[in-house]
Amino acid sequence: MTSRIVAFNLNGRDVEVIVKPLTTLQAVLREQLHYTATKAGCRQGGCGTCTVLVDGEPMLSCILPVEDIAGRRVVTLEGITPAEGLHPIQQAFFDHYAIQCGYCSPGMIMVIKALLDRNPNPTREEVMDAIAGNVCRCTGYEPIIQAAQAAGRQLSAR
Amino acid sequence: MAVQEYYLPKSLEQALTLLADHGDTLLVMAGGTIAMPLINDGISMPEKVMGLRHAGLNTMQTGDGVVRFGATTTLTQLAQQDAVPLLREAVGHIGGWQIRNMGTLGGNLFAPPPAGDLAVALLALDTRLKLVSRRGERIVPLSEFYTGFMATALASGELVAEAQVPLPRGKTSYVKYGRKHANTPAIVTVATHVTTAADGTVREARIALNAVGPHPLRARRAEQCLMGAPLTPATIAEAARVAADECDPFTDAIATDWYRRRMVTVFVKRALESIAA
Repeated sequence: MTSRIVAFNLNGRDVEVIVKPLTTLQAVLREQLHYTATKAGCRQGGCGTCTVLVDGEPMLSCILPVEDIAGRRVVTLEGITPAEGLHPIQQAFFDHYAIQCGYCSPGMIMVIKALLDRNPNPTREEVMDAIAGNVCRCTGYEPIIQAAQAAGRQLSAR
Repeated sequence: MAVQEYYLPKSLEQALTLLADHGDTLLVMAGGTIAMPLINDGISMPEKVMGLRHAGLNTMQTGDGVVRFGATTTLTQLAQQDAVPLLREAVGHIGGWQIRNMGTLGGNLFAPPPAGDLAVALLALDTRLKLVSRRGERIVPLSEFYTGFMATALASGELVAEAQVPLPRGKTSYVKYGRKHANTPAIVTVATHVTTAADGTVREARIALNAVGPHPLRARRAEQCLMGAPLTPATIAEAARVAADECDPFTDAIATDWYRRRMVTVFVKRALESIAA
C-alpha cells in the first residue's frame, strides 16, 4: 500500500496530509485535521451534510478522494465562520429557526454560500433547486429557504 | 481488505496503460458518485482503483453535425451547454447541485437503473460511443453498448473515451416521473426524438425509456407504431400502450413493476404529446 502526501488549501491555509489510497476528503477533514463542522451523514453522497466548497463549487466530501483535489481550494463551515459572532447566513439560520438538530446545517449553509456568491438575490425556486441535494429531517425546508433569502438580502445590502 | 492502490492518470494514454497492466482487477471510476458509496459501505471492496478526474477527458467539441463530449464531462457542464438542449433538460432532473458537479456523462452510462437518467437522453439522441484501448479504438452505438443488467459491450482493457451526439434534427422531449420533484430516483423516465415530414407524418421516431428494464432501452415497437403516421391522440395512445407492453420493469423500494408499467403508458403519452404540441 502506497501512502501519499496530498497538499491543498483549507480555508485559506495550506495544509499537507499523509493518506492511504482512496481516503476521502471527509475523513481527512474530520479524522486527521479535526475540522468537524463538516458532518458525516450517509457516506453515500445522498444527504448533503458533508458538502464543502472546492474552488467555490459544492461537492460531497464523503465520496471525494482527497487526492483528486490536490492543489485546490477547499472551504468548510469553519472557513466562513468569523472569529467573533456569526456569518450572515449562520445568523439568518438562527433568526429564522432554520436549525433544529443542526446536523444538516453545515451542508445547507455551504451550498447556500455557493448560491449567494453567484446570485445574491435568489428566488424561492432558485433556493429550492440549490438545496435539492441536501436532506433535512426535522425543521422542514421552509425556514431554511427563508433564511437563505434573508441572508441574501443582508449580504447584498452591505 | 482496504484499497491498496489509487491511481490518478494524467492522460488517456496513462489510463489505458494502467488498464492494460492491471486488467479487470482495476476498478475504474470518474466522478465517484456510483463507486464511492459502494466502497464506503464495504459492498464493493476493490484492491485497486483508477480515478479518471484528471485524465484529460473533460472536453466538448462541435463539428460536422456532431457534438463530442469527453467521458468525464460533468453533469454541471452539460447543464451549461447550449448545443444539445435535451441533455441540459435531462441534467435538470438528476441529483442535486453537488452530484451534478461530481457525476459525469461517462459514469452515467454505467449507473444501474433506476439511475441512468442522462443515458436515456443520450439513447434518444442516437449517441455513439468511442471505446478506446491500447489495441485501438472502435465506435459502438449506445443502443448496442448495453448487453444486460450492469453489463456492457466494453471489452477488457477498454475505456469509454467520448460520446458522439448527432445534433438533433427533430423535436425532443424529456419527462421524468419520481416520488419527489427533485433529486429523486425515477419510476420511469422517457426521452424522445421525433422527426416529422412537411405533412406532419412521422419520418423517424426514437423513444428511450429508463427505470423500466435492466438498462436504458429503446421502445422499438412503439417507435414502429408511429412511422409514417401523424401524431394524433390515437397513434400516441397506441404507441404508449405498445411501449408499456414491450418494456421490462422491475420492483424496488421506489415502485412495483406493475406500477412502473402503468406509468410507462402515461409518460410516453405525455412525452409524445409535448412533441405534437
